Amino acid sequence: MAELLLDPKIRLWVFLPIVIITFLVGIVRHYVSIILSSQKKIELLQVQDSQVMIRARLLRENGKYIPRQSFAMRRHWFNNEETGYFKVQKRAAASQNPMTDPGMMTDMLKGNVTNVLPMIVIGGWINWMFSGFLTTKVPFPLTLRFKPMLQRGVELAYLDASWVSSASWYFLNVFGLRTIYALVLGENNAADQSKIMQEQMSGAAMAMPQDPKAAFKAEWEALEITEHRWAVANAEIDVLSILDDHQHEPQQ
Amino acid sequence: MSVAKVTKDNNKSEPVAYSDAALRNNAVVVEYCRTSMAALSGSTAGVLGLTGLYGFAFYVFAVVSLWVMFMVKTGPNWNKYYVSRQSLLTNGFFGALFTYVLFWTFIYGMVHVY
Amino acid sequence: MGSSVHKLIVTVGFLSLFHSAFSAAQHRSYLRITAQEFTTLPLDIVVQAVVSLFAVMWGVLNVAGNLREIPAAAELNTVKWETQRNLPSFYIFNHRGKALADNYIPSGSKCELENVE
Repeated sequence: MAELLLDPKIRLWVFLPIVIITFLVGIVRHYVSIILSSQKKIELLQVQDSQVMIRARLLRENGKYIPRQSFAMRRHWFNNEETGYFKVQKRAAASQNPMTDPGMMTDMLKGNVTNVLPMIVIGGWINWMFSGFLTTKVPFPLTLRFKPMLQRGVELAYLDASWVSSASWYFLNVFGLRTIYALVLGENNAADQSKIMQEQMSGAAMAMPQDPKAAFKAEWEALEITEHRWAVANAEIDVLSILDDHQHEPQQ
Repeated sequence: MSVAKVTKDNNKSEPVAYSDAALRNNAVVVEYCRTSMAALSGSTAGVLGLTGLYGFAFYVFAVVSLWVMFMVKTGPNWNKYYVSRQSLLTNGFFGALFTYVLFWTFIYGMVHVY
Repeated sequence: MGSSVHKLIVTVGFLSLFHSAFSAAQHRSYLRITAQEFTTLPLDIVVQAVVSLFAVMWGVLNVAGNLREIPAAAELNTVKWETQRNLPSFYIFNHRGKALADNYIPSGSKCELENVE
């Protein structure tokens, strides 16, 4: 087919600007989403709740290693009808539906605003500003099926399928530059990793119960039915028998 | 922190424990290099004006040479750093191909079309 | 120290790659002006592009960061005695010994705590 000759000005004023605009918009969007994203605030009360839950669980599981009186004392602190922690603390029941949570809704809205809106606005602007140019040619032959994908805005039936119009070039960039963002915004990755580290440091304490009231009630019940069975009641006899074994062993 | 993944090694019957954090760190490094390699080799292919199958052959060449570079960097005891050499070669082959094609088209357009 | 050398390699490689791209574009426009057919690029441009590609790739490979040893044993070997003794379950934030401090203000009894709600 006949080789088309494109004006070099198209290269400078259409082809290159589309790449730069797409790239910079991606960068800006990244930083805007960082600004908008609300840091999950951890309330003191929630941390306190979760720590209490952990302590109650530990008491339930390992209470057998402390004397009966110590166990009863600890359980009293949690479960006493008048002064027990689980009885005194009154927490509001958590809302069940995340959709009714206003914080959740704004988060979703922010995600949409930072992701979809720029795409539509910039896409529309590029379509309007740079419409109807052939910008480049892909360096490999393509079948005719790619024509509507690569030549949006340029309806020429006899044009070779490997030519790319400006609107399609924009969309190719939008999808293709994603990996490059990961490369350029590498410091974001590092931040993510430190976040993971932080979570691991604080460990189980951050795994907050969704509904403290129900969790308290469940823990209270579990603690109430726990029977204290002292594991080291026969410690002396056990130790002596071990010593006996050791003494007898060499002779056998 | 030390959540370890236990994977069966084929040669030895005893299971080998891998550190999760180190695996993730290595995956990040490899992904970084792979994306850079795709973008750079795409640009080079565009500069050279490769077309058609030559361009894709150049991509394969670039992938293999990156793999060889990884091997050179780690030296003979590669299995201290990767679970397997084959997956290092083949993982993300097509994901990076898209980046490669984009840069190839871009630089080819910049240099050779106009 | 070694990292800065590799960064230099990456920078120089990028410049060289850019220069070869520019030379190739110049060559193309020269061919177009003189109405010659494009067959292949001059060898020096090809060599420059490929060599700078490899230089940048090698530099990026070393800039990207160190690989860590994946066997869990290698990581466990670096654990120090101090880290080993760090047991989160035994953290105490509300020790009764704080009553001995000078600036200790006794809080109310549990009945008051109940009334706070």
